[in-house]
Amino acid sequence: MRDSLKALIIAAGLTMAPAIAAEPWNIPHEKQAVLKGRVVDALCQLKGRCAADCGGGKRQVGLVLADGTFRLVAKSNIDFAGATADLSPYCGREIEADGLLIENPAVTLFFVQRLRERPDQDWIAAERFKTGWEARNGKAEEWWRADPDANRIIAADGPFGIKGLQPKPKP
Amino acid sequence: MTILSQARRRVLLSTAFAGLFAATAPASAQQSGQRITITGEISDSWCTISGLMFAKGTAHHQCAVWCALGGIPVAIRDSGGNLYLILKIGDDEDSAGNPRVARMATHEVTVDGELLERDGVKYLLVDRIADDKGVITMTQEEHGIQPFGN
Repeated sequence: MRDSLKALIIAAGLTMAPAIAAEPWNIPHEKQAVLKGRVVDALCQLKGRCAADCGGGKRQVGLVLADGTFRLVAKSNIDFAGATADLSPYCGREIEADGLLIENPAVTLFFVQRLRERPDQDWIAAERFKTGWEARNGKAEEWWRADPDANRIIAADGPFGIKGLQPKPKP
Repeated sequence: MTILSQARRRVLLSTAFAGLFAATAPASAQQSGQRITITGEISDSWCTISGLMFAKGTAHHQCAVWCALGGIPVAIRDSGGNLYLILKIGDDEDSAGNPRVARMATHEVTVDGELLERDGVKYLLVDRIADDKGVITMTQEEHGIQPFGN
């Protein structure tokens, strides 16, 4: 009897478990949310100027929800990285994206942490940027410090963006 | 194949292509925007709204370069705190991870373009950069190099 009751409680708990599992990042105006919508590239959605594969990672992308709302997906689960690598492969298809909706008065954006195409699928961490970057550049603990383009720009203009202006030597 | 049947085939093909385009183009496409001139600092949207680091001027330059190359949407922040997300500059429609845009991180610019507003976001299609003053907001003395100090 006790075992049956325990099983019932566990089952009830699973049933009632929230579908939302995004990790809070303590960003002002953040709200955990699962968005369901069709992957589109922003320029295509807004101006009808469409690219194959939503730009293949080179264009900003977002989700068109069932009510027609367009949510730009601006950030992935990788430090300093957006979500185009995660969403572009699903261009034109419906997905679920679990993350944080940031309704800042200046701008409303979505930060995705994981995604999937169907409820019966496992969630996929939104970390494809790192996979792609490492395929092009090799392994790195911190991709941003090893990025060839970033290092070229910083070498040319300095860390402050002004030629000749360098950090003070540490005492 | 007769000339008539060739012409008919061309019409059928062009109709098919037109139908295909209509099927793939989004229903809400062709939004008409407002002509606008914006002056402000080029900054990534992640640092600007996350509040996790100081996101202005020299202190933020390196971080803004990283974010722009990482594909985070880049915006122009005007003096009123409005954010205008850049979707193109001239003919360059690469709005994610574009080194040309990353090179302008934290620059003070004036641009002409088309403003499109949709669901809480101001999108900007830049026609031309009218002025680029470079990085002019000096914040490094107070804030060092964001976010790690080096």
